Amino acid sequence: MSVETSDIRLERYDLSTASFGALVGIGRAALIIVPLLVWELCSRFGLINGFLFPAPSLILYKLWVQSGPNGNPPYAILWHVAYSMLRLLSGITIAVIVGTLIGVALGMSRRARLVFQPIISILMPVPTLAWTPVLLLVIGIDNRTTILVVFLAAVFEMIYIIAGGIEMMNVKMLWVAQSMGASNGQIFWRVIIPGVFPYLITGTRLGTGYAWRALIAAEMLAASSYGLGFMIYDASEYMNMDVIYGGVMLIAVLGYLLENVLIGKVEAATTEKWGSTQ
Amino acid sequence: MSVDSARILPLRNGAGTNPKIVAKNIQKYFGSVLAMEDISCSINEREFVAIIGPSGCGKSTFLYLIAGFEKASHGELLINNVPIVGPGPDRGIVFQEFVLFPWLTVLRNVTLGLDIKGVPRQEAEERARKWIRLTGLSGFEDAYPSTLSGGMKQRVAIARALTYDPEVLLLDEPFGALDVQTKNYMIQDLQNLWLEASRTIVMITHSVSEAVQLADRVLILSSRPSRIIADIAIKLPHPRDLRDPLLRRHEDEITGILSAEVDKAMSLERQDSTKVERRGS
Repeated sequence: MSVETSDIRLERYDLSTASFGALVGIGRAALIIVPLLVWELCSRFGLINGFLFPAPSLILYKLWVQSGPNGNPPYAILWHVAYSMLRLLSGITIAVIVGTLIGVALGMSRRARLVFQPIISILMPVPTLAWTPVLLLVIGIDNRTTILVVFLAAVFEMIYIIAGGIEMMNVKMLWVAQSMGASNGQIFWRVIIPGVFPYLITGTRLGTGYAWRALIAAEMLAASSYGLGFMIYDASEYMNMDVIYGGVMLIAVLGYLLENVLIGKVEAATTEKWGSTQ
Repeated sequence: MSVDSARILPLRNGAGTNPKIVAKNIQKYFGSVLAMEDISCSINEREFVAIIGPSGCGKSTFLYLIAGFEKASHGELLINNVPIVGPGPDRGIVFQEFVLFPWLTVLRNVTLGLDIKGVPRQEAEERARKWIRLTGLSGFEDAYPSTLSGGMKQRVAIARALTYDPEVLLLDEPFGALDVQTKNYMIQDLQNLWLEASRTIVMITHSVSEAVQLADRVLILSSRPSRIIADIAIKLPHPRDLRDPLLRRHEDEITGILSAEVDKAMSLERQDSTKVERRGS
């Protein structure tokens, strides 16, 4: 559930006013700002080890410099982010498409479910990273390896959730479309896809979470020069603590943006507008 | 039926004499359970037929056979003298639970049948607006179904089925999910719509008063495995008044047949269950 929806609920049920919303906003900001401030002061005044815990201002400064033309290499952070996002978004896109197709096939056909359920149940719990050495040997240190890892991390969740969504769908929706003379293709695009859309969003959201974790780890093992995972791993070799913390912060911020801004926007334009799905 | 009432039948909308749907010795098994023993009937063009029976007798199954959602195990089911092999746009369906598409606005729900046919958008909207107006949904074209009341959802479902111009309208307990006031209102409306649309209508219901108010003919099904135990013509003009003594007589007659059937079914059921209990003890 996105942060926005929980806000609306609070406002509806707590008879609250604008001041309550402002209070929530202040509380949220304080939970981020206060610890950073404490960290900053402790680091500056030598209460904690300034090498292991460099002040947040220094971390941000490092990120700023590394994002500019004086970075090493120039614009390094932007390249790291761009590579990571390219791998993440390609992997997730493929996972959403493949997962939806397989999920729909499994959801629609009891026979397909009986045949494929065991193999999916066996493969699903295998940590995606366990595949990485195999992929590295077969494909090599290449974007394709990291994209495949992201794909594997997200696709099983998609299949499971879409297949479940199809089973929850009212078969009479298909009947209505059939009695209008809809072809199988029309039924797929006009009924099945919008019908499972809420599940598609949930699957994408969960899949993206898994994919992020897998991506960063895979980049530590299988990226040659760019990517946030590579950046953190590389920095640890040289004990660049500020770069490591900077990488962690970037991952957190990007994850938040993906989850709440990108997926949240899609959700607001679709399932939230449609209201209840029944 | 008296000569008087026959004379005031509205001719324009009177049922034709050409058979539209013909069922010959339909039998339906679910697994090894016989649900439908032997159903034969003929439904004429522009006739409004209500099918009524004890709950669980397979009324809806019969409707789904006509719609083509289910297949008969034995027997022959024809529409316009052609065997029914699957669902098609010559038959429109309205379900008790509406089954609207929540991701489409009222207007898009109603135009969907025409969109699927490939009718140009402007023409589709024009045709949709006619039925939106006649079902009293004007002003709600851009609303999503989740914001509508039950009665309005059912109006959308009816408008959606009428807009793509099916020859036969199949209604599966269309008022079952509505409150009493909404239901009475919808029954009045459906009579007017039927006069306007002049289609063949087959309606499944468990309410005798709905059946006698709306239908030209009421078929009564027995409890499972079902047969047709009565075929009652109601030759009264539309719109009908429930207080009409002739209508009352039909209502009593049908209620009598139906409750006798329910009594029989219940006593059989009870016998069965006591047998099971005795065996168990």
